[in-house]
Amino acid sequence: MIQMFHVYKAYPGDPPALSDVNLHVRKGEFLFLTGPSGAGKTTLLKLVFCAERATSGQILVGGRNVARIRESGIPYLRRNIGVVFQDFKLLPRRTVADNVAFTLDVLGVPREEARGRVMAMLKRVGLEHKADSFPLKLSGGEQQRVVIARALVNDPAILLADEPTGNLDPALTIEIMDLLSDVNVRGTTVVVATHDASLIARYHKRTVQLERGKVVADQDGVKAARKMASGE
Amino acid sequence: MSVVAKATYFFRTALHGMWHAPFVHVIAVATIAIAVFSFGLAYGAARWVEALLSSIGGEVQMTVYLAQDTPPEQAEELARALASRAGGGARVVPKEEALRRLSSELGGLGGALEALPVNPLPQSIEVELPAGRRQVGEVRELAEKVRALPMVAAVDYGEEALARLEAVARLLRFGGLAGFAVVVLTTVVIVSATLQLAIYARREEVEIQKLVGATDRFVRVPFLIEGLLQGLLGSALALLGLWLLSWAVGSELAEAFAFLAPAERVLLIDPRRAGELLAVGCGLGLLGSLVAVRRFLRS
Ligand SMILES: Nc1ncnc2c1ncn2[C@@H]1O[C@H](COP(=O)(O)OP(=O)(O)OP(=O)(O)O)[C@@H](O)[C@H]1O
Ligand SMILES: [Mg+2]
Repeated sequence: MIQMFHVYKAYPGDPPALSDVNLHVRKGEFLFLTGPSGAGKTTLLKLVFCAERATSGQILVGGRNVARIRESGIPYLRRNIGVVFQDFKLLPRRTVADNVAFTLDVLGVPREEARGRVMAMLKRVGLEHKADSFPLKLSGGEQQRVVIARALVNDPAILLADEPTGNLDPALTIEIMDLLSDVNVRGTTVVVATHDASLIARYHKRTVQLERGKVVADQDGVKAARKMASGE
Repeated sequence: MSVVAKATYFFRTALHGMWHAPFVHVIAVATIAIAVFSFGLAYGAARWVEALLSSIGGEVQMTVYLAQDTPPEQAEELARALASRAGGGARVVPKEEALRRLSSELGGLGGALEALPVNPLPQSIEVELPAGRRQVGEVRELAEKVRALPMVAAVDYGEEALARLEAVARLLRFGGLAGFAVVVLTTVVIVSATLQLAIYARREEVEIQKLVGATDRFVRVPFLIEGLLQGLLGSALALLGLWLLSWAVGSELAEAFAFLAPAERVLLIDPRRAGELLAVGCGLGLLGSLVAVRRFLRS
């Protein structure tokens, strides 16, 4: 689903944020991306949905070469990728339902049909009773679930999540992670960037570790979990 | 992808935007309203000036002074020839009539003329110039030809006055055009500045739209619609203002200027003019938003 070959990314003036990254994420896989702060996790995710362009190397997303995609092709790529990023917040002046419907508006889905799909999606994240509330009246975990609903309402093939539990307490963290596993079980390829070792220990998923822009480890779930549990 | 769904989405977004940032939109609407209102006034003023010019032009006459001792029959013949040449009328003014006119113009001093031994005034022909032939160049050409005729002593056609009148008309036309350009430019700048504020206020929304796969066009259209609606609102207000104004003072103005033109309601905007002003307002709004969108929604 996502393939990277010898990918380099250098921001002007800095040492490369990513260097010679090779990665293959299969369809339907769940992947943790981990590593210390500044390792390049966010940068890697941004390359996948073209928020940043690779300096060199090839990136295939669903078989399309993202490195060569034209500016006008980016929107169509993004319609297949759901994104949960900390800096892409909810719109405070729109209701929860309208925030989620945003994704469908862009696709030109008629209002009534969109409403039905939004309500079904909100039900999946357990928030159908909050459809007409405003985001600021929701708890942090609820807001994050709305963001996830917005990312998933058009059924993208891939979900990218950057620190989706970054500022949530442990109970809410588990709630969100269970939601993401559930999404994955239903067939969506999920990539989660996190430096929370307890998540990796708990969820037994494939884990790719970055350090200073390089892949330093790529372990299956059991191994990664064992390693994290032992506190190495 | 439904066109109707998209169109309703665009309008909903535009109205939502205007509703939640009323202040900047009020500024844009007011600016457009003032611009369109002044265009309407300028159009009214232009019509008076035109009427004024043509009424002054209506008094343009060519006077052909004949040599002393031109026989009256020959003068009559020449008058007929001039009339057909100028395409208007021509009339011989005999010496005696010229003296009478002068003495009545002099009033109390007129008696002095009677003391003269001989009538010193020449016989003349007054040529009426029809409306289509009052261009300075044309009148001058005619005058040159007439001057060359054997029994003609002099030709007077108010050359300077005519030239000055034309210069004034040219100046007004040029000034109007320059004023129009300045107002258009200022309005577009203000409208685009306010729309840039509106776009800035919605940058998060735009960012999220792009994140979930909106094309640039999709992001832009609501802002263009906002510009269009501003133009529509602004020019509607201006039309209302013009209508109120002409309702309040229109008949007095028409009376005041009745000597110029057949009592026409001077300011009242006819439907065609209203449509034109509406189109100008929409154009201003759209142009302003196009500039804003081009400058702000790059990348
Ligand atoms: N827009 C940018 N311009 C310049 N340098 C950047 C930019 N974004 C990231 N970097 C640099 O690239 C490197 C990798 O950053 P990145 O955000 O990918 O790290 P990260 O692994 O996500 O870190 P964290 O865990 O703190 O989120 C860092 O050295 C950072 O300073
Ligand atoms: Mg990061």
